[in-house]
Amino acid sequence: MISKIVKSGLTRRTFLKSTAVTAMSAGLPGASLAAGNTIKIGFLAPLTGAVAAWGKPGLDGCQIWAARVNAAGGIKLGDGSYNVEFVSYDNEYDPAKARTGATKLIREDGVSFIMMLGGDTWPGVQPVAEKTGMLFSTLLPSDLSPDTNMLIAPAEVHPIYNVTGVEWLAETKPELKTAVMCAQDDALGLPSVATYLAAFEAAGIEMLDEPLLFDPATTDFAPVVTRLISKNPDIVCLDTCYSDYVHPIAEQLFQQGFKGQIISCTADFYDQMIAKTSEDFMEGFVFQFPDFDDPALNGDNINFTDPNGFYEEFNRRHPGQWGAVSWEYASIMDLWKAAAEKAGSASPDAVAAAMKEGKGKHAFGDADWWGTELFGIDNALVGDWPVVAIEKGKARIKDFRSIPAWYAKHGDLLVKHMKAYDQMWDQRS
Amino acid sequence: MPKFLIWIAALAALVALPHGLSFSQQEILVFLTINVLLVASYRLLTLTGEWSLAHVVIMGVGAYSSALLTKKLGVYVPVSMLLGGVIAALIAVLLSFPLFRMKGFYFLIGSFAAGEIIRLLWKRFRDPFGGAKGIKGIDPMPDFSIGFYKFDFFEPTSYYYFAGVIVAFCLWILWRIEKSPVGLTFHAVHWQDKLAQASGVNVRAYRTLAFAIASGFAGISGALLAHYVGTINPTAFDIDLMVFVLTWAIVGGTATFYGPILGCVVLTVLNEIVLRELGLEQMRPLVYGAIMILSILFLPSGLESIVQKLTKRRAAESAPERSPAE
Repeated sequence: MISKIVKSGLTRRTFLKSTAVTAMSAGLPGASLAAGNTIKIGFLAPLTGAVAAWGKPGLDGCQIWAARVNAAGGIKLGDGSYNVEFVSYDNEYDPAKARTGATKLIREDGVSFIMMLGGDTWPGVQPVAEKTGMLFSTLLPSDLSPDTNMLIAPAEVHPIYNVTGVEWLAETKPELKTAVMCAQDDALGLPSVATYLAAFEAAGIEMLDEPLLFDPATTDFAPVVTRLISKNPDIVCLDTCYSDYVHPIAEQLFQQGFKGQIISCTADFYDQMIAKTSEDFMEGFVFQFPDFDDPALNGDNINFTDPNGFYEEFNRRHPGQWGAVSWEYASIMDLWKAAAEKAGSASPDAVAAAMKEGKGKHAFGDADWWGTELFGIDNALVGDWPVVAIEKGKARIKDFRSIPAWYAKHGDLLVKHMKAYDQMWDQRS
Repeated sequence: MPKFLIWIAALAALVALPHGLSFSQQEILVFLTINVLLVASYRLLTLTGEWSLAHVVIMGVGAYSSALLTKKLGVYVPVSMLLGGVIAALIAVLLSFPLFRMKGFYFLIGSFAAGEIIRLLWKRFRDPFGGAKGIKGIDPMPDFSIGFYKFDFFEPTSYYYFAGVIVAFCLWILWRIEKSPVGLTFHAVHWQDKLAQASGVNVRAYRTLAFAIASGFAGISGALLAHYVGTINPTAFDIDLMVFVLTWAIVGGTATFYGPILGCVVLTVLNEIVLRELGLEQMRPLVYGAIMILSILFLPSGLESIVQKLTKRRAAESAPERSPAE
């Protein structure tokens, strides 16, 4: 090292730089990291366009996660401590751009792990993953198949957790007997439709009509809602609609005078929905994604580090932007960090192997690597999931329900509906 | 400089180009090459005065056809690409029967509706089209070696050379068509349709011919895309991409063969490389939209008008000055 410095010549600029770094290192907790000791993590998700609400808040959450981890001394591997840096690429939810992004992140930025939203974009990236051996994560386990060894779904088990909301609703409001459902006709909507159908059937709730699948280009939801409520259902299910659809559908339900129960996978930015409708109308709206200031997240079963503090920091930096994915990518990073430290290495193979050893520390409790029946591979981390309802204008966790317990009782129904919608791993073309 | 030397220099530059780029820029170069064919084929259609909103759906017809031919029937990839173009042209001929009963604005809306019907069919019929999720695991172009160079089609450079040769050949054909009597008739159908009709030109047949030829080449561009990315879905050929094609054509200009290509190249480089490198990822739609509006306001004849001004000025400067005696 010294010979290198001597060789290159110790200039005034180099001296000042190194002095400043030394001074800063002495003053910062856990900042004894050697210059350049940085692990780069790829963030390959939609940051613009219709699906940006499931990408951008996730990146914002990751930046908070990185700041916290770096301030606490970084990631400790076999050869020292490393800071974390996120490198993002906006894939615009387009498989071709996702392929370009994956290439850039791996070959140019030298990332050790790439997080994706998944869905339509994963097939574009799959050849890149196969060729490079990079470890990828998805929020959509329906991307999993036996051909995707290096793809994991460690945070969100969409859409299977949706069964927990229906199960809770059936138990707490047994008077609700009938339901209708709508969803955008795409890779996100269809497996979710199959899941909700299985959940309603298991709960003994009758579907009054076939699920109404609308085109993703739909902008006018008045006719969609008119048809939905024409049969006078007790429950309207919004499936896994993007927030660009959930908001206008809820608004239409309000304007067309629907008084029944609404259940949805997400209710991102629900404060805006309340502003467009009313607190009364949104009271009891059931969905699956909590605010992290929820007291129920301070229990011993929760593995996410300081959820309340994370939520507070997120809202300080990005007021009004908290959504379903704000914590999910950060939660994946918790698992990745633990696995990398256990393996003593950031190499994709080592981290993947360490991550899948034994139980996984899922955000909402310890969970198992699972999925062979539905996905052909045990690469989804499945355990408990919260059921959330809006009460007096605020999302509150009502219960934690076990997905594997539901599946043990009603798995055949889920498989039946998944098959009917060609969503089983061996049916996906 | 003799013209053939300029062509050789341009060819050498295009061959060397990917080696001066980063990996991700090479990827963008592949998509740019494919889009050049798409927008050039679109211009052929506009020669007859009709602006279709179904062009990217027709590109999708080529992509789906080629993907299904390889996946279901095991057709050799280059053959399926060609057949993808042929099928796209045939579908265009079928669409021409209702569409060419309309003109101008009605044709524009009719073409949009026709395209949406095709897209909805892809979604509705999961077998064979894969529904909303589309088709994945599409066979790539098989690797091969020509002795001094091994074509590994996972690598963007190899696919760029392959797509580049096909696109160059297609552009040459499009150019020849435009300069042929058929191309001149396309112009006549646009600017003097009554006079052309009075001269015995079957206006509708020529419109159909332009539509079919343009669609055939759009189909080939779709096939090139499908076998590179390995997946296609109905969303990949929606109105968003069509807006991009229109923007490339409008910003580049449609008076010349190179105008739309220039628009495609400049705007793609700006959008995918410059704005990303500047860290303006999330502001790209805003900046892109602003550039389009500004170019329409201040450059109504498109980027091609700048080139024309420059070349005219250079020609004027290089012309020998006449002596007063002359």
